[in-house]
Amino acid sequence: MATKSLEAKTLGKNVGRLFLQLFLILVGLLYFAPFLWMFSTSLRLAKDSFSLPPALFPTAFEIGNYFEVFNKVPFFSFFLNSFKVAVVVALGNVIFSSMAAYSFARIRFPGRNILFLVLLSGLMITNQVTAIPQFILMAKLHMIDNTWTLVLLWLVNPLGIFLIRQQMMAISDSYEEAALMDGANRWWIYSRIMVPMSVPAISVSTVLWFVANWNDFFRPLLFINTWENMTLPLGMTALTGAVGSGNYSAVLAGVMLSLLPCVVIYIFGQRYLLEGLSTGGLKQ
Amino acid sequence: MNKKFSDAIAGYLFILPVLLLFIVLTLGPLVGTLLLSFSKFSLLSSSRWVGLSNFFNLFTDARMGVIYGNTLFFVFILVPLHVIVGLVLAVSVEGLTKGSAKYLFRTTFFFPVLATTASVAIAWGMMFDTSFGLINWFIGLIGAKAIPWLNSPVWVYVAVAIFSLWKFIGNSFIYFLVGLQSIPVELYEAAMLDGASPRQRFFRITLPMLSPTMFFVVVNLIIGAAQIFDEPYFLTAGGPGDSSRTVGLYIYETAFQYHNYSYGSAVALSLFLVILLVTLLQFKLQKKWVFYGN
Repeated sequence: MATKSLEAKTLGKNVGRLFLQLFLILVGLLYFAPFLWMFSTSLRLAKDSFSLPPALFPTAFEIGNYFEVFNKVPFFSFFLNSFKVAVVVALGNVIFSSMAAYSFARIRFPGRNILFLVLLSGLMITNQVTAIPQFILMAKLHMIDNTWTLVLLWLVNPLGIFLIRQQMMAISDSYEEAALMDGANRWWIYSRIMVPMSVPAISVSTVLWFVANWNDFFRPLLFINTWENMTLPLGMTALTGAVGSGNYSAVLAGVMLSLLPCVVIYIFGQRYLLEGLSTGGLKQ
Repeated sequence: MNKKFSDAIAGYLFILPVLLLFIVLTLGPLVGTLLLSFSKFSLLSSSRWVGLSNFFNLFTDARMGVIYGNTLFFVFILVPLHVIVGLVLAVSVEGLTKGSAKYLFRTTFFFPVLATTASVAIAWGMMFDTSFGLINWFIGLIGAKAIPWLNSPVWVYVAVAIFSLWKFIGNSFIYFLVGLQSIPVELYEAAMLDGASPRQRFFRITLPMLSPTMFFVVVNLIIGAAQIFDEPYFLTAGGPGDSSRTVGLYIYETAFQYHNYSYGSAVALSLFLVILLVTLLQFKLQKKWVFYGN
């Protein structure tokens, strides 16, 4: 009798689990469906973009929409501009944030804690709060409509410094002491010991920062005026304006193209993301 | 040269690039916003000090109350939604899946975070279309009436919430997932031996152990939601009327479409003060509920 009720209990547990799993699959499908619709609709003829029923699966293969994207706007140069900004910013983050993080984590100097707090408070000083003086400054410097302005404004990453510092603080003192005994200087210790040992935190902060700046729409909207200097997010509005209601499918073709780099970033970045977030840690 | 002194020099040199950039591009502009809000500034003609008049306008601007109300409303609906849905998804994926299925779900829920916001927002705008949109077509299938997603002062909030949950849930999801994975298994094993139910394990172990992650996620969500811009810009343009216009959108319109930099700065400063107060308050309150363990 006892075994039977135990069996019934496990059965009930398994059935419950199965239902939850099915529900999770359903939610997953809901998250995936919009991409499917965007892809399928991007392949429809212009006149059928919005024909009902909507296309969850491709019903036509109008590749011409994808050419239209490049014909109507300089889509390729949007890509290049976005890449330029994102790559330079990512590199700058790797170098500057890790340097600052090393200093805050391992070197004693007067004012260290205050300066660190001041930098961290940057998380609260949002883009919208600083945008107007930044715009006036860049206008005076004749740096409006210049992709380097976007790079410059993205170079300080307080969260990145925080994450890398957390990991560097956890590295044992013994490496550093041994190196100092052997006469190594700070730069050697930073570049040969600390950076290699903090790769997860550096990677995750770089991936997160890359994503934030790749997606940034607000600053390009303020600082960039011409098609030739637009990054992808702003370029998408140019595409919508140029093709617009004439061919929604072509707009969606642009949407699909703009997602390709994100797929690549995910494939390369995702393993760092989990590893880096767990080792970098969010604990105080 | 003594070691203390050379250490200090090295310490400052290492933070120098970041510090200089931070002063010029963040702190300086923050002070700039403060100064601008006390002036009547023009890029082309001369500027002058006007004292508190921008702030006087701010408090008597009838739209300001509506716009702050909208922004607060977004914060109040989006922050809890992101915390709850992100946590439920993370717990489900961690508890219900293994191996490549886990990888697949992680990708599904996280990928939209990476997807170019402008692009997917434009696409969602089409999906929300009242007559031809994908969503209303499905709603029509079950016989319900078409919903004016982007044309009704009430439904716009639902539409923005749906889009926001789809686009950004990956953020809280991934932080909770990492947090869950870092909880020592022994805690659960010990609780099982003591006969704790799944519910007890969740409320007595999982939630307290996740509280530092929760704190981090909530602080970030509030700062993010308070400056919500892309979602209303692309989906609703603040409408219908002012019903989904947010402070972020209003700062942009005031300063960069109407070139009223000074009033825009006063609004921006007010937003900064609100974010600052709320964040400081959270750091004070965290002592009451965040468990840092040992």
